[in-house]
Amino acid sequence: MITFEHVSKRYPGAANALLDINFHLDAGEMVFLTGHSGAGKSTLLRLILLLEQATRGQVLVDGRNLSKTSPRLTPQVRQHIGMIFQDHKLLSDKTVFDNVSLPLIIAGMRYADIKKRVRAALDKVGLLSKEKSWPLTLSGGEQQRVGIARAIVGMPPILLADEPTGNLDPQLSRELFSLFQQLNEHGVTVMVASHDLSLIRAMGQRVLVLSGGRLIDDIPAAVSAAAVS
Amino acid sequence: MSIKSVRRRIRARTRRQLYSFFSSLGSLLGHRLGTLMTVLVLGIAMALPLGLYVTLHNLRDLDLKQDEWGTITVFLNDEVTEAGAVEFARKVNQRLDASAVMISPDQGMEEFRKVSGFGQALDLFEENPLPWTLLVTPQAADSEELGARVTVLAAWIEEQEAVDIVQVDHKWMRRLSGLIGLGDALVTVLSVMFSLAVVVVVANTIRLDVGNRAEEIQVLSLIGADDSFIRQPFLYTGFWYGLLGALLALVLLSVSIFYLNRPLEQLLNAYGKSFELDGLGGLRVVFVLLAGGALGLCGAWVSVERYLRQLRVGGLPGRS
Ligand SMILES: Nc1ncnc2c1ncn2[C@@H]1O[C@H](COP(=O)(O)OP(=O)(O)OP(=O)(O)O)[C@@H](O)[C@H]1O
Ligand SMILES: [Mg+2]
Repeated sequence: MITFEHVSKRYPGAANALLDINFHLDAGEMVFLTGHSGAGKSTLLRLILLLEQATRGQVLVDGRNLSKTSPRLTPQVRQHIGMIFQDHKLLSDKTVFDNVSLPLIIAGMRYADIKKRVRAALDKVGLLSKEKSWPLTLSGGEQQRVGIARAIVGMPPILLADEPTGNLDPQLSRELFSLFQQLNEHGVTVMVASHDLSLIRAMGQRVLVLSGGRLIDDIPAAVSAAAVS
Repeated sequence: MSIKSVRRRIRARTRRQLYSFFSSLGSLLGHRLGTLMTVLVLGIAMALPLGLYVTLHNLRDLDLKQDEWGTITVFLNDEVTEAGAVEFARKVNQRLDASAVMISPDQGMEEFRKVSGFGQALDLFEENPLPWTLLVTPQAADSEELGARVTVLAAWIEEQEAVDIVQVDHKWMRRLSGLIGLGDALVTVLSVMFSLAVVVVVANTIRLDVGNRAEEIQVLSLIGADDSFIRQPFLYTGFWYGLLGALLALVLLSVSIFYLNRPLEQLLNAYGKSFELDGLGGLRVVFVLLAGGALGLCGAWVSVERYLRQLRVGGLPGRS
């Protein structure tokens, strides 16, 4: 589903943020991405979402070579990816319901269906009672969960999350990770960037470790799971 | 691609359009004061050329009643008797391009009494000082031809022995038609200039609007909205601005016409004309509204395109 081949990324006027990254993620796989701050986790996710272009190497998503994709098709690529952002990226002048419904409106779905799906997504993140609230009246954790609802509402085949537990307490973080696992069991390819090593260990999934822009470790799920028990 | 999937796509596109349509209305109503001010500026800008156009239109109507404006008034010599006047009228009527109507001194006095309001004072004259008078009307198809005919005819009449004074109204008429020609050109110039102004005003308003909603545009683009989805609400907004501006211009125009109608009627009555100010007809109203909407659309397009291009070149600001 996602393949990196000798990918390097250099921001103009900075050192390499990513250097010669190679990995492959099968459809329906789940992987955690970890590493110190500034290791390049966000950059790696941004490459998949076409927010940046690789300086060298190739990124393939669902068989499509992103560096050879015309900018016109960028929206299509993004519509197939649910992204949870480190800073939520909610629209403050729209209610929770309207924020979550945006991907479906972009897809041109019927309003009756939108309503059902948005409710279901909000229910999954435990915010159904807040559908009429404004994002700024919610706590950081609640906003984060609205962002998650928006990412999953369109049922994209790929889910990317950048520090989704940044504002959540350990209890909520665990619940969230198991929600990801649940989606993954339904066939969604999931990639989660996180600092939370203890939580990652507890999940027993494949882990990619970044350091200084290099991929220094790729722990298979089997090993990871063995370590848990 | 199957017919079914094509149909589904069309339906999805229609729903997106509807969403943009309503969201543009929502944002207009959300900033009522700003919307009102923009529409006011647009309305006034559009009312000016429209007003001039309507004025000219009415003047041209006047021009069309040329048979009266082109009439030559011929005062015969004092010595000319009724028989002489009849003889002269017959001479004029023999010409193919003109016809004459006689007014006797008594008729003339009667008329003068009515129009001037001197009434009894005129009885002081021992005998009627007015000569026999002829109203000579040339026959002509249009005002251009009429002008030439009147000139020739007046020259011919002037040479006749029986004639004292010849009065021609057509100079006035010619000036009027010259002015109308100038006015036509002015309408064109003003229309172009004020259309440009409308585009610029809408473009600037939408530019600010786009700037205010940069965050929204960025987020929409992050979750997969394409350019046309981002563009649509702004285009609708521009269209609304133009349409509302045109509507206001038409209202301003109607109010002005209503207000000007009475004094104008009085003025023209003094010339012995009955007159009704014409507004714009149904088809023209529709045209003005659509043209306004189209200009607004242009303005919005210019601004949004510029912004989207910047976005593409500079990439999305802010990182996650
Ligand atoms: N837009 C940018 N311009 C220049 N340098 C950048 C830009 N974005 C990221 N970098 C640099 O690239 C490197 C990787 O950044 P990145 O945001 O991917 O790290 P991260 O692993 O997500 O860190 P964190 O855990 O703090 O979010 C950093 O050294 C950062 O300074
Ligand atoms: Mg980061």
